Amino acid sequence: MKSYEDLAGDGGSNIVEQVVSQQGKLRARLDKIKHKVVLMSGKGGVGKSSVTANIAACLADQGHSVGILDADLNGPSICHLLGVDRNKKLVIDENGVEPGVGHLGVKIMSMDMLLPDPDSPVIWTEDKGASAVWVSTMESTALRELLMDTKWEELDFLLIDMPPGSDRIDNIRDLIPELEGVVEITIPSPVAQHIVSKSITKNTRMGVPVIGLVENMATYVCPHCDQEGKLFEGEDAHGLAKGKGIPYLGKIPFDPRISQKREGLFYTENKDSLTGKAIAELVKNILKFIQNKAK
Amino acid sequence: MKFLCVPCDEQMQTQTEGVMPEEKQNIALKFKCPKCDHTIAMLTNKFETEFVSKIGVEMGGGSAVGQGPMSMVSTQLAEGKDELKKAAPKDEELIWTEEAQERIKKVPFFVRNMAKKTVINYAQERGITKIDAALMDEVREKVGM
Repeated sequence: MKSYEDLAGDGGSNIVEQVVSQQGKLRARLDKIKHKVVLMSGKGGVGKSSVTANIAACLADQGHSVGILDADLNGPSICHLLGVDRNKKLVIDENGVEPGVGHLGVKIMSMDMLLPDPDSPVIWTEDKGASAVWVSTMESTALRELLMDTKWEELDFLLIDMPPGSDRIDNIRDLIPELEGVVEITIPSPVAQHIVSKSITKNTRMGVPVIGLVENMATYVCPHCDQEGKLFEGEDAHGLAKGKGIPYLGKIPFDPRISQKREGLFYTENKDSLTGKAIAELVKNILKFIQNKAK
Repeated sequence: MKFLCVPCDEQMQTQTEGVMPEEKQNIALKFKCPKCDHTIAMLTNKFETEFVSKIGVEMGGGSAVGQGPMSMVSTQLAEGKDELKKAAPKDEELIWTEEAQERIKKVPFFVRNMAKKTVINYAQERGITKIDAALMDEVREKVGM
């Protein structure tokens, strides 16, 4: 009787060829992007998307071409933050989908651009009996399609804004094995640091490079007099970074103007503020990590 | 996974027709021996279906549907922009009623092309140009699993 190895092919489905073709398509897209950086936190509500948007603005302001993949499929906010008109018609052809273009020419792909109304949720099927297992499958595949089928073209940086939690990093690591690394974001609160600590441990054990830790909303800064005060009671995130053996990339004070509705982005309008300077310092540290890694 | 017809010592071939799944998580795939025509069916539970679907490939071979941009998102998202839905590649010229389109959309992505072929071939053999829900029920009863 023939063995598995004796049988050529898989009986007509050509699974291997399909997977190879899929990977080739993804590679062709990603090979045009120099650096891919993930921004994540085990904890929700720490300001990941806001930090991502302002890092993108800072990089673009320095002359880099930048894209953002909004990997928060169920809670997308990048379009809103970077001023992409979500009502704009999608341009799709056989080669892919045109990304949205936000402030300073930052290219964006987000589920928000694919939904018909501002309050449309992401629902993968109208079948009420659909299992969580099924939904998880759809989300993994959607993430691959958003990455692979967007016409990013040549980019210096692709930032990946992750959803809260650390479960999706497994998908991203499989899709982008050449990741420069992960920027972990926390706030001073002990609860946030406790959860972010788990996220750092997971990435370290999985072999995902951790660029370092950012302490967002580290202080409150008065937009009028630059006086700083405590916003959250908690431990210094330096300790967490040191304990985990990862670089401390910097602290970002909370400036109320960062959450105000505006035409542009906080960073571009307030470069010389304490918070603006902190964002620039954070970007400098990320670039330093990437340069050192390349050596 | 490969299937061998033991009496003939021949690899069984995936049958792209005769797949008409109704349930999302239980799939039936037919395999036929090219020598003796013996046919078997592989039945999967929802976890096995999940495993296959996660790879993002189509059973029975890739199609235009699977190779187009945002192929899964454009067809599986319950609410999506019109231009996204219109971008889903069409691979036949028969008329599908709205109800029939909704039902075929509920077939899992990775076997949807096979299910479509089953319905299309059934309709074409009988000179039918419009596919509706009643025809799909008939297909399931006569050739489906």
